[in-house]
Amino acid sequence: MHRKVLAAVGAIAVALPVANAAAAVKKKVATVTKTVTGPQMIADRWGYVEVALTVKKTTTTVGTHKTVKRKITNVTVPVYPNHTDRSVFINQQAIPLLTHEVLTTTQFNPNIELVGGATATSYAFQESLQKAILLAKKI
Amino acid sequence: MHRVEHIMGMPIVVAARGGDVPDEVFDWFRHVDEMFSTFKEESEVSRVRRGELALEDASLKVQHVFARCEELRTETHGFFDVEAVGFDPSGFVKGWSVDEATAILDRAGVEEYAINAGGDIRVRGHWTIGIQHPRDANAIAKVVEGSDLAVATSGAYERGEHVRDPHTGAAPDGILSVTVTGPDLGTADAYATAAFAMGARRAPGWTARLRGYEAMTILADGRVLSTPGFPSA
Repeated sequence: MHRKVLAAVGAIAVALPVANAAAAVKKKVATVTKTVTGPQMIADRWGYVEVALTVKKTTTTVGTHKTVKRKITNVTVPVYPNHTDRSVFINQQAIPLLTHEVLTTTQFNPNIELVGGATATSYAFQESLQKAILLAKKI
Repeated sequence: MHRVEHIMGMPIVVAARGGDVPDEVFDWFRHVDEMFSTFKEESEVSRVRRGELALEDASLKVQHVFARCEELRTETHGFFDVEAVGFDPSGFVKGWSVDEATAILDRAGVEEYAINAGGDIRVRGHWTIGIQHPRDANAIAKVVEGSDLAVATSGAYERGEHVRDPHTGAAPDGILSVTVTGPDLGTADAYATAAFAMGARRAPGWTARLRGYEAMTILADGRVLSTPGFPSA
């Protein structure tokens, strides 16, 4: 069933030219943001799932030519299966909800007051940087 | 002011804004080390592990720690398991001892402070925290900021894998680190350890389901997956 939900998500992102007509002069842009909730669907043996999307709709009118663009700005899952052996399902469903970025090295930022890291990591670095930060605050 | 002492095999930094760090904080960490160290033969935990002291005869704090570890084993589907590592609660004790230390600072009237115990942090008041880069020990991968927050990270980093999947004994695959934020450092640390042990395939999905805690998972392919409420600066 979740294939259907994903297909619907894909379709909303497509720009839909609604009407077109004669040459235009005036341009008007209107935006509306709405949250839509899908029906509760049964996901095989896992249980019910409900997906809510926040959609920003931008309507651009140039003369009589109207263009409507819809963009998904948020996806939430208010109802999801509560199954003891749910990890496979969760993995398929939850990853799209996470923010995806590419790992980068951040320039050392003078606002940083503390440095966190894995337990087994180099304490020497953490300690030294931590001390440097605390000293820098006194300058 | 700030103070640093080496206790429980790690540097513990306590920083207080506009006030002193009371001695009692470090007395507490030394007391925890006496009770919980697995390196000290006469610690309560060592006696419990050798079977010389029944858990029900141990101090209430030791009983509480083992009880919470058992709850965390269930919450993490067995990925945080102190029994798998020879009944060693050290992975929880560090964060828990920091959580308990906040009561000492609160009682002393310190309004804004930070405790950094070997890279796991708990703050009161608003603080900006750099998370060490998993591939470059001298760099920062992410900056987080927040108030009254715990921040715990589990990862392999340059010392090699030290967290293993308790079910298989294998080192986690395809994952560099997991950082968990939330109200309680003991819990955040256990969640980070568990998620890291799950590996790249299961960890991100599992973190997306945590209640009251947010997470950032850094994968070996360079992807960084964060839950929607992760407090990135």
